[in-house]
Amino acid sequence: MDALADIRILDLSDGVAGAYCTKLFADYGADIIVIEPPGSGHPLRRYGPFAGGRPHPETGALWLYLGTNKRSVTLEIGSAAGRDLFRRLVEEAHVIVESFPPGHMESLGLDFRALRGIKRRIVLVSITPFGQTGPRAGWRATSLTSFASGGQMSLSGTSQRGPGGYPAEYQAGLQAFAAAATAAYNADALEVPQHIDISAQECTASALGMHLPRWAYQKAATSEGRGIEAERSPRVSAGPAASVHTVDEIPESARLAARGYFQEIDHPRAGRLTYSGSPFRMSEVAWRAGRAPLLGEHNEEIFCGELHLSRQELFHLCAAGVV
Amino acid sequence: MFRLPLHGIRVLDLTMGWAAPYATRLLADMGAEVIKIEATNRWDPLRSLSGAASGAERAWDRSPYFNHMNRNKYGCALDISKPRGRDLFLELVAISNVVVESFGTGAMEELDLGYRVLQEANPEIIVVSLTGQEEHQAIYGEAVAGVAATGAIALALWHRRRTGRGQYIEVDRQEALVGLMGGQILGLSMKAQKPHPLIAPQGCYPCSGDEQWLTLACQDDAQFAALCDIIGRRDLAADPRFADGTGRHRNRDALNGLIAAWTRGRTKEEAAEALQAAGVPAMPVLSVPDVFADPHLRARGFFELVSHSVAGVWEVEGPHWRLSESPAHIRLPAPAFGEHNEYVFRYLLGLSQEEIEALAREGLIAGRPEWPTER
Repeated sequence: MDALADIRILDLSDGVAGAYCTKLFADYGADIIVIEPPGSGHPLRRYGPFAGGRPHPETGALWLYLGTNKRSVTLEIGSAAGRDLFRRLVEEAHVIVESFPPGHMESLGLDFRALRGIKRRIVLVSITPFGQTGPRAGWRATSLTSFASGGQMSLSGTSQRGPGGYPAEYQAGLQAFAAAATAAYNADALEVPQHIDISAQECTASALGMHLPRWAYQKAATSEGRGIEAERSPRVSAGPAASVHTVDEIPESARLAARGYFQEIDHPRAGRLTYSGSPFRMSEVAWRAGRAPLLGEHNEEIFCGELHLSRQELFHLCAAGVV
Repeated sequence: MFRLPLHGIRVLDLTMGWAAPYATRLLADMGAEVIKIEATNRWDPLRSLSGAASGAERAWDRSPYFNHMNRNKYGCALDISKPRGRDLFLELVAISNVVVESFGTGAMEELDLGYRVLQEANPEIIVVSLTGQEEHQAIYGEAVAGVAATGAIALALWHRRRTGRGQYIEVDRQEALVGLMGGQILGLSMKAQKPHPLIAPQGCYPCSGDEQWLTLACQDDAQFAALCDIIGRRDLAADPRFADGTGRHRNRDALNGLIAAWTRGRTKEEAAEALQAAGVPAMPVLSVPDVFADPHLRARGFFELVSHSVAGVWEVEGPHWRLSESPAHIRLPAPAFGEHNEYVFRYLLGLSQEEIEALAREGLIAGRPEWPTER
């Protein structure tokens, strides 16, 4: 039995964090509907490298990895007609994930209060670099500035260019996944809605290992005039461990291969490629090795099949740029 | 206001160190009753990392590392490696929902407490094992494994409600960490060129003061023009070398030098404020003391004051999953060793005072660890 199949999540997010959050649900059988802007599609489709070498919206590594097992509709939520359709999707959803700047959902009339009016036990997950409130709530961020914001960069000994990849966004996405799953579990039983505010800065600042406690303790000791006793803890190097693997070495890892970690997944445009597996293994719930969707691949299935629009109506909406 | 999402979920926490205790800390923050189980001869090594002087009373309760990681949890002392201790543990399993351990592959089987045995005691039990070598390749390696475990547990709770069955979850540290590089690894599978598009300028720039750095990135031509304006070099926006991202990347050495000339004359906070006001992504590189003092984190109430009966009062980072209807806080300081023995053995398991005293005499239950006197 596909016990997680009845979790439905609408993904409005446009970055790595939201996509990784919903990927973790999708790979275990939940139904994720990605809401993509008509025409250009999800912003992640622009990021390479690209299978075949040339940029193409269906063959970018980031989208292929983060889009696995999701369904795709194109929908312009900037339009009133698009928002109407979105609201109808909310009726059957458990979780909505978004990563817009704070206030944007409200400007669309899709803030938490409005969503609660449609689905009483909805869980809205908002993932941003600095959270919904506070002096930096509106600040722009990239992967580099995000990684700098929570203390991890200062402890990483990374070069001037930064760590590469998206470590802060992936961490925020992983934390958002765990928070959303927790809240959804509760909402399922008690019909309690939640608006979850996830700040990438706070996610990374809570993952500083020994360093924050050590500093907090020193501050408290000095302010109480206790003086700091000799530090008994072993010296911990702030830089990477001696036996560090570069990313390039990971696909060659004999250990991961022996564990069956890597999976081959086929894709109609990108072909057969080797993907990373799951961060955890569950004995009763199978991990799905499914591909990322093509742009708007499930428009008909969802708008006609589930929302019962006629194909004519769908055609008109496409022509109008709503879908 | 509603109660916390995991209220009513009981977790038996055999974990130690950083990764798995972070997982159980997240569960505890969300309202689960997390009971940390240590033994007189096997306690969380973080208790041994302490700034306290060796002769201090109850030095094992004074470790800031242990106390940060284990807030919101209960603690008892039970030796599960002895037959009677094992029996009591299985009685706890029968009335709990989740067991989390990080001893290493095969360890629970050696104690005859493998998944099948726990499942017999409670068919709905969810057992989580954190395995693999400690991941220090990245500062966040341990935390990532912990968060992955927490998420998996939440999925397992949903599954249990639908099916009435528990399950076994394994979180391998390396697999958890490598998931964060999935796009790059897939790129290697493509045997493809560097990612596209290129962002430039992008990097860390020195600011005034000792080891003070600013990060910034211009994602498009408009942001670059804004940057040029802010640094008083509008001419650069028209410079053919920097006309597009490719050009700016090719000539990045020259460009970075020009930007650094500006940042050196400012504090990292001033520089970031000025750039953000113009719509350019920028952020100071915060050190750990910077994080602790950060006005934005403070405004959001990220740090909470915690009072610990032995270790005193200091600030701890609070629960950072902010749930609108169930705001979470630090409700309990980290447990002193064996602090909740009474709750676990008398109240939960119904042992009599005599039985408890007998177990204490045998060393199965205790109020203090076998702490070496010379440290």
